[in-house]
Amino acid sequence: MRILVIEDDKVAAEYVRKGLMEAGHVIDIANDGDLGLEMARASDYDVLVIDRMLPKMNGLDILKDLRASKDSTPVLILSALGEVDHRVEGLRAGGDDYLAKPYSFTELLARIEAIGRRSDPSGGVANLKVGELEMNLLSRTVKREGEKILLQPREFRLLECLMRNSGRVVTRTMLLEKVWDYHFDPQTNVIDVHISRLRSKIDKDFSVPLLHTIRGAGYCLQE
Amino acid sequence: MIKNFSKIYKNTLFRLSLLGALLFVLSLMVVAVSVYYVTVTAELNRIDKLVETEHSEIQKIYDESGFQAVEREVTLRTASSEGLYGLVNKRVAIGNLFFQEVTKEDGELPLLTGLQADEFNKVAFLYSNPLSEENDFKDRRARALVGPIRTGNGVAAILIVGRDVEGTMRVGLKVRNAIFMSSCIALILGLISSWFLSKRFTRRVDAFNKLADDVRSGNLNRRAPRNYSHDEMDLLAEHLNGMLDHIERLMQSMKYAGDSVAHDLKTPLTRLRTRLESAGIERHNTQDAEIFFSAAEDANELLKTFDNILRISRLKTGERRELLIDIDPKTLLDDLTDLYEPSCESAGLEFHALTTEGHIIRADRGLLSQAVSNLIENAIKYTPKGGKVRLELLKNSTGSVEISVCDNGLGIPREDRERVKARFVRLDKSRTHPGNGLGLSLVDAVANFHNADFIISSIDDHNVKRPGLKAAIIFPKNKIK
Repeated sequence: MRILVIEDDKVAAEYVRKGLMEAGHVIDIANDGDLGLEMARASDYDVLVIDRMLPKMNGLDILKDLRASKDSTPVLILSALGEVDHRVEGLRAGGDDYLAKPYSFTELLARIEAIGRRSDPSGGVANLKVGELEMNLLSRTVKREGEKILLQPREFRLLECLMRNSGRVVTRTMLLEKVWDYHFDPQTNVIDVHISRLRSKIDKDFSVPLLHTIRGAGYCLQE
Repeated sequence: MIKNFSKIYKNTLFRLSLLGALLFVLSLMVVAVSVYYVTVTAELNRIDKLVETEHSEIQKIYDESGFQAVEREVTLRTASSEGLYGLVNKRVAIGNLFFQEVTKEDGELPLLTGLQADEFNKVAFLYSNPLSEENDFKDRRARALVGPIRTGNGVAAILIVGRDVEGTMRVGLKVRNAIFMSSCIALILGLISSWFLSKRFTRRVDAFNKLADDVRSGNLNRRAPRNYSHDEMDLLAEHLNGMLDHIERLMQSMKYAGDSVAHDLKTPLTRLRTRLESAGIERHNTQDAEIFFSAAEDANELLKTFDNILRISRLKTGERRELLIDIDPKTLLDDLTDLYEPSCESAGLEFHALTTEGHIIRADRGLLSQAVSNLIENAIKYTPKGGKVRLELLKNSTGSVEISVCDNGLGIPREDRERVKARFVRLDKSRTHPGNGLGLSLVDAVANFHNADFIISSIDDHNVKRPGLKAAIIFPKNKIK
């Protein structure tokens, strides 16, 4: 993906660039708001990463400006202000996701890839499929190799989130946000317990595991 | 009443002013006694001297001129002075006392008992004087010297020389009454003024006591009331307030120092974590990568701790309180139940949720969820396998809404229950578990932010090994719309 990072902290921006390049993306960096808006308008990016507080032009203003000119490029807002109302403000201004500083790089990468995929037209379909695992969003049923799997409502949403991001890492924090709408980090391994329950339902009786744990990052559903 | 008195008696100022009043009464009595002495005793002494002089004058007349001269002298004095006289022997009885009714008061009057007295003898007696112009002529008090008129070797007659002292004695009585009355009045006035003074004093001391209690319970912004009279209580208040200002400044600067350390360390720590992570990613699935990732995870823990410190500080300032909205905590608790039930089960604990709907509170879903989640995680951490954890939502009889997490685990000793709410406090038995000592202080900060109370108690005090723990967040009634 082509990604534009608008961030005034040059050291942070450099690490983000290095990490994203490592993950196979193409990166441009703008160090202030004016330049960032100009670059975002000038070329076609798959994802924009915008710091909220920038010299010359505020990150939210850039975002509002882009949305006003019908630019719907997915935007991830970075901010040192992590409280819920700041988050809501960012999403209202047209952001697709909001990440509070300090963030971990894996978290950033997972979120960039998630919103990059979301803009994919395949997001609105009624059926999700990963290998032999199928999910019907209308009848809310899950099958693997044609065999029906019974899931609790919350397990269904957990699996849906993983399937929508199949092949990509989904972090624990992302799962807490998307499935439970919580924006804090629990001290215990509460998500792991849910994942292992889900795993026992979708993977246990089958030879090929689909749900993988990625060390230091989160989970990934893939063949 | 008695209890009331004993309470007021304990008051220092009351006791001091009562002592003052007693000393005043005592000195009043000293003054009164000297007045009595000057007016009565001295007068009686003067009369005693007078009658002695008269007696020896008459004795002298006898020695120089004989008994007949004495008879003449006594008759003359009886007629011309206010004195009371009596001259008696076997032959004569002259003087005004014989015409009067004389009764005994405190001594024998030899006149009536056989004229045997042979030495000087002062007596006080009552007599009636029908010649007196005053109305109360009966039973008037008098004093007299009764003594013999001596010849060379015998007694010529008994001479009585006396004076009426009724007037003096009456003055004495009046003085005594005056002493008694004024002492009583002084004592009563002393009591009343001590009571008023001590009431006033108690009011001001109570204000100081209340201040001390408030400050101890954490309200460092309270100050002692002043009346700017510059009396010693006002000066005490001024000094106390100065001291509290100083303490508050120190606390503030300490807190700011802590917060800015947390804030300033966040940026380098974030970079450290990012470097470790990218190093881990570069090495893909090697063993080195594992090391980098776990180091990054440690850095992450530090960052989380700093985040929590800053969050607690922000909550304590009470900013953003206007963002609280009316919510039904049942939905919130059901979500948490959904999140934590599997964790409880995998830890070998029974989990029960007792929630009812319809109790609306003013709250922030995110903050309250985090607080209750901290309580549930604590319960899971400190309850041994096979134990029970209960999440409960109920409305108390007072109308307050209570959200509580109960367990039958190790509990927290009574004396530590307030202390654990402070930042970084970890009890000895929790040191073996991972944690940073911020969990309960965050809960406390969240409760304060919602104007709710955070109360820690035990489930069963009689069970020494596992008294259990009840951690409750109580939203007072007036905050519910």
